[in-house]
Amino acid sequence: MVRTNRDQLVEMAVGGEVWPPTLRGPYRANTQGEAFNLMGMAGVVLNARVGDLAYGWAADHLEPAVSIRNRDDGAEHALHYLACIGNRAVVTSGEAKGARGVVTGEHAHILVDFEPDVLEQICIGDQILIHAIGMGLEMLDYRDISVRKMSPELFAALRIEELGDGRIRVPVAAEIPGYLMGSGAELGADYVDQDMTTNDRETLASLGLNQLRIGDILAVRDHDHTMNRGYREGAITIGLINHGDSVMTGHGPGVMDLLSCATSKIEYYIDKRANLAAYLGIGNKHLT
Amino acid sequence: MVSTNRDRLVAMSLMGQVISPSYPAIPAIPHQIDHEGKPRLLPSLGGIVYNVKIGDPVFGWAGDNIEPGVAIKAPDAAANQALNLFACVGNEAVVMTGGAKGARGVVTGKSGRFAEHVIIHFAPDVLEQMVFGDKIVVRACGVGMTIDEFPGIRLKSLAPVLFARLRVEENDGRLTVPVSAVVPPELMGAGAGLTSDGGAICIQSMDRAALRKHGLDQLRLGDIVAIADYDSAFLHGYRKGGISLGVVSSTDSIKAGYGPGVTLLMSAPRGELDPMPVEQINLTGLLELTGADRLARTAEEGSL
Repeated sequence: MVRTNRDQLVEMAVGGEVWPPTLRGPYRANTQGEAFNLMGMAGVVLNARVGDLAYGWAADHLEPAVSIRNRDDGAEHALHYLACIGNRAVVTSGEAKGARGVVTGEHAHILVDFEPDVLEQICIGDQILIHAIGMGLEMLDYRDISVRKMSPELFAALRIEELGDGRIRVPVAAEIPGYLMGSGAELGADYVDQDMTTNDRETLASLGLNQLRIGDILAVRDHDHTMNRGYREGAITIGLINHGDSVMTGHGPGVMDLLSCATSKIEYYIDKRANLAAYLGIGNKHLT
Repeated sequence: MVSTNRDRLVAMSLMGQVISPSYPAIPAIPHQIDHEGKPRLLPSLGGIVYNVKIGDPVFGWAGDNIEPGVAIKAPDAAANQALNLFACVGNEAVVMTGGAKGARGVVTGKSGRFAEHVIIHFAPDVLEQMVFGDKIVVRACGVGMTIDEFPGIRLKSLAPVLFARLRVEENDGRLTVPVSAVVPPELMGAGAGLTSDGGAICIQSMDRAALRKHGLDQLRLGDIVAIADYDSAFLHGYRKGGISLGVVSSTDSIKAGYGPGVTLLMSAPRGELDPMPVEQINLTGLLELTGADRLARTAEEGSL
């Protein structure tokens, strides 16, 4: 049993509203230089949930289920920093008032999973409150491994083993080489995610990384995200796929930081069941 | 000798103003967090920089992503985007107002997300006469330039005069270009996934051993570098076999994922570019910048 400061964590409400999709311009360029228009971000996505494939959708940066944000800049950032994966969400206005969901990701919006009958009732602008708990979580015996954006429920579900020599071991659905990490290096590791670069489809296929699912737990090799996000040989970061693939160079499924160590104190092994949907009993459970 | 469409390029004036450094307001926590997690307060982007110049080392300064010389920005966001996209490395800049009115400088690079500045070299005595708000016109020329023999190579932020001096050579259907160093793709950081037509992408410097291994620890501002296995045709990202070429335009950073900024000049996603490492190839020599306030151009190179 990994010792944590679970008993010291504060549970605090943060909130937002279901946010509509917006267009930044009529067209953007994909890797081949072709203009494209694709949906994917924001709104209520009725047919893609955590557990589904991150690839193959006619979409860009697909955000599964419900996307929320807050109109007030300060409250919006509180929502971003305090909401953790696995936190409970409650609809507090509209037809679905009282329905319960679960936070599955932090991207341009906070992503919340609901059951299909609830998704059908939700309208743009509906208020959603999140019981935020997880900020400040630490592993008491592994101070040099950073812990981020995890509810105590997700932390407990990750199946972290102690190896007895100062290292831990975690099952992951896949491992990503550091050179495939793209957009997001300019952002702090406490904020949203860093995309994988997926425009080189041959390299992706040769590494077996073309079947990843939203919600997959991954290991990123040679990446130290204990503070910001950067390359360091031997470092390991454990992350979570929060959104779908992209057609733009330097973009792809987003990897949110969960655990990171500047040295090699995190071991991992491949287990395709390492996915948020299976761990928390939410989304589309393809793997259970 | 390759041929380009340079005689069909449009030259257009863009305006930016000398911009002050900027720090966050109350609650007055101005620190950047370095890659060890320590808060540090250092000079950073913007301003008139008197003692860090093109040709100086990028590492070792007590600063964070310092822009050598003068950083300018247009007050209007859309106009600034045009300035950042259309200004090319090697373009001439002219001071239009203030004590340095009439002085001439040369565009040496750009900064990206969070700054969106154009970086200009002026002679030391010109810097002494400048203040924030001085208007500087960039005589922008270069966007739209293509190489007739290499339609797959995209040129960007590259003035015709600099292209002519890069000493590129055609060899068996490939374009050879001398570079100071070749950067491996795993070291490319902040800027990935963002536009390659403006801004800059950082060479990550947290792993000092990796920098030494690839001969990058002696880089200088203005060095021409190649990026291996990279596609910068539109945005920046990994592609096996792709080659990008750029110029080192700002100093090192203390933050993980950051490091010296590179302004992109060429991208060959299908790899038609052969970087040829040489002792050093730097803007100071290519554009005769040291101590001169005006780029001397041959008759063939024209006024732009």
